[in-house]
Amino acid sequence: MKNLKILLVDDEEEFVTTLAERLELRGLQARTALNGEDALHMIEAETPRIVILDVMMPGLGGFEVLRRIKAQHPQIPVILLTGRGSEKEGVKGMELGAFDYLMKPLNIEELIKKMQEAIKSQP
Amino acid sequence: MNKCAEKEVAFFGRITADITHELKNVLAIIRESSGLMGDIIAISPEAIIKHQEKMQNSLVRIKDQIERGVELTDRLNKFAHSTDETMAKIDLQETIEQLITLAQRFARLKHVVLKTVPPNQEGPPITLVTRHIQLQMALFASLECCFTVMSAGGEINIGIRKTKGKNTVHVVCKGDLPSQSEFVRNISESEKWPVLQEIAACLEGSANLDETEHGIVLRFPEEISR
Repeated sequence: MKNLKILLVDDEEEFVTTLAERLELRGLQARTALNGEDALHMIEAETPRIVILDVMMPGLGGFEVLRRIKAQHPQIPVILLTGRGSEKEGVKGMELGAFDYLMKPLNIEELIKKMQEAIKSQP
Repeated sequence: MNKCAEKEVAFFGRITADITHELKNVLAIIRESSGLMGDIIAISPEAIIKHQEKMQNSLVRIKDQIERGVELTDRLNKFAHSTDETMAKIDLQETIEQLITLAQRFARLKHVVLKTVPPNQEGPPITLVTRHIQLQMALFASLECCFTVMSAGGEINIGIRKTKGKNTVHVVCKGDLPSQSEFVRNISESEKWPVLQEIAACLEGSANLDETEHGIVLRFPEEISR
């Protein structure tokens, strides 16, 4: 998992910046995007190993970003971030191809464990 | 239960869900910021010095998010109390301002800015004896009508105007908009328009499209029959 390239996508800048710092302290390489359009451009420029994607974002929403990632880069696992009480969103995301979903506020150890499972699931 | 009363429950649910979603983000940021500080402390005492800026930034983030959380819970609390009495004497300008703060996140998701406009005439506060929650529903429905026809980067101004002794609420859309006639057609064909009409009628008022501006004119009686 060391040096794993992660793309974090969430419109809450403070959240995503702090999460990236915590992942970097753990030896992971985390880049951030604050909206769906930027995330898709960043994926084209440099393919991340995994994407952590917020569902509720202004403009291009999480589900549409997920659809496009799965269409253009099906090998990239995507873990969705949803709000508590929004299990339906998580289930919908998995039907659209997400590996799994986690609810905010996050537990970072749970996120890392989920990312490990996602990487192992890839052939 | 009449249709407007049924819609009250759905409206209440939507606003509550929206504010609690934002509160979750606040808690998520506080968790990550305090977690980051914990991570740094766990590395070593020297790490605290090495990452002093990260520690200070985390403290600022936590403080800012707590203030944001307090403001959100105040907003939710005020909204919850708008159901205390079915009929109440309410300050119209204050209700507009409160509704604007409730609708901020909805507007942000559409990339639209909401603004209140002060009344066009000075004088004592304009009050109505009406159903507070349904009045907020009407104002919110008028915003939703505008959202359906506006593109990103636009602005919605809401204000009270006194004309010929009558108070009206003007919801005016600004930005990259189609022609007046197309705007009128788009709004009147939107699914939110009949909802707005229905709620305005429950309040013994009316919602009409403005003939000169890209907007909606809402009229409510000073006191509705009980």
